[in-house]
Amino acid sequence: MERTGWGLRLAVGAVYGFLLLPLVVVVAAAFNAGNYFTFPPQGFSLKWFANFFQRREFMQALWLSTELGFWTAALSTVVGTMAAIVLVRSRFRGRDLLNAYVTSPLLLPQILTGVALLQYLSLVGLAQSYWSLLIGHVVVTTPYVVRTVSATLYNFDMALEEAAQSLGASPVRAFLEVTLGIIKPGVVAGAILAFAISFDNFTISLFLTSPKLTPLPIELFAYLKYSFDPTAAAASAVAIGITLGLMLLIARVVGLEEFTGF
Amino acid sequence: MREGPRLWVRVALLLPLTGILAVFFTVPLLLMAAVSVSHQSFGRFEWAFTLRSYTRFLTDAFYLGVLWDTLWLGLVVTAAALLLGYPLAYHLARTRTRWKPVLLVFILSPLLVGIVIRCYGWMILLADRGLINATLVDHGWLARPLPLMYNRFGVGVALVHVFLPFMVLSLTGVIKRIDPALLDASMSLGASPGRAFWEVTLPLSLPGILAGSLLVFSLAISSFVVPVLLGGFKVYVLPIIVYEQILSVFDWPFGAATAFILLVISLGIIAGYIKVTERALRGLV
Repeated sequence: MERTGWGLRLAVGAVYGFLLLPLVVVVAAAFNAGNYFTFPPQGFSLKWFANFFQRREFMQALWLSTELGFWTAALSTVVGTMAAIVLVRSRFRGRDLLNAYVTSPLLLPQILTGVALLQYLSLVGLAQSYWSLLIGHVVVTTPYVVRTVSATLYNFDMALEEAAQSLGASPVRAFLEVTLGIIKPGVVAGAILAFAISFDNFTISLFLTSPKLTPLPIELFAYLKYSFDPTAAAASAVAIGITLGLMLLIARVVGLEEFTGF
Repeated sequence: MREGPRLWVRVALLLPLTGILAVFFTVPLLLMAAVSVSHQSFGRFEWAFTLRSYTRFLTDAFYLGVLWDTLWLGLVVTAAALLLGYPLAYHLARTRTRWKPVLLVFILSPLLVGIVIRCYGWMILLADRGLINATLVDHGWLARPLPLMYNRFGVGVALVHVFLPFMVLSLTGVIKRIDPALLDASMSLGASPGRAFWEVTLPLSLPGILAGSLLVFSLAISSFVVPVLLGGFKVYVLPIIVYEQILSVFDWPFGAATAFILLVISLGIIAGYIKVTERALRGLV
């Protein structure tokens, strides 16, 4: 805007720098030859990536996170989309309350959800299993799916579905062929978001993990507590690459501005 | 308009999610409440009703100190996030550049990069042998590394970084809805740009400021990873106490009670947040 003065521009630039600096530094350190990252860099090297891909615990963690993210996304998308349809379409008493309930895991600090789940699952005898991780991730990702799908459903013109039915389609067929086709971007975005959140989740996993089942963020955390070499930077760079790819995918499917509500 | 799906269809569609949440969210929280008033001695856990864990927390100077430190840290982080976030949000709301999607990605990207990685980025920067200190010392500009990490400074910097996007997103929506004509009007009546900002833009963006601040504060006081990695167990906050009591000391009642104290504080703040955002929305209609 023409009124944007130089002072504001400088301040804005500096804050963007602050936001991006740690991410840039992690990626730069992953490609840096030295054990420590100093300025100027000590030369280009891929040895930290080689080290990352050769370490069995990192590979197992990467695979576990990917698989867990996939199943979490599948489950929370199905369950969340089903609920969103009713919550947007139907009018009944207590709908607002139900809406608030369904999104309530978003409001609670994850450390509390994690502690509560750990105590509960230990008593039930499910703790430290793959199931416990999956359950925990589904609980925290589904509210995001409900929100994303609801947003697209609100903009959906009911007349389309009614037209299909008046032309002879059964309600189920009208839903599957018309409605689902139109809200697909919202569903896909919800699924990608669920995967990304599960893939990066730390707090819930911390309480539900076991020595044999460590997702990538937990493995990284454990590694960082004892060593500081750039293998962790390579691991981070790989994770950043995966999330960035998913973000671009969301941008392609729904458009980022719409997605964030701008 | 139609009624929507039939009753049994509705129930069938809602049941999986509400069922999962009831069994794996509500019941665990109720159980945690029950554990927090139970009794444990010499590692033996017994169901009971006693407020012993709560009174222990609220009468112990150490834990009260940690509670105070947590709230203070949250306050400082919130103020810093507001100070850094406001210019960013203002620019984002008013700019007409075609680079806007890129700017949005810049703001969102830290949000979608795992929290451990963001902390690690700050560790690379702030450690004694980190980028800043090593560069300064190697060039002989500094005799000894500056204490940037494993203290409150490092924790604060990383917390601001982690939660800044939430502040910016809360502010941008509100600032965007302020009619620029109001600003033009005040300036054509003789107000300087500075005065127009202080007396028109800033008061009108108050709902966003309040909402963003409450959100960042509640996120900051319940953050665990940042204080651990950048505080190196030298900066104690409530979530660390919860974690230690549950996973190292195995004192479940006390851990659960501490968690509940944190829960009550953050729920109170979130209730305020909801009230503020609702009022802001109603003001628009």
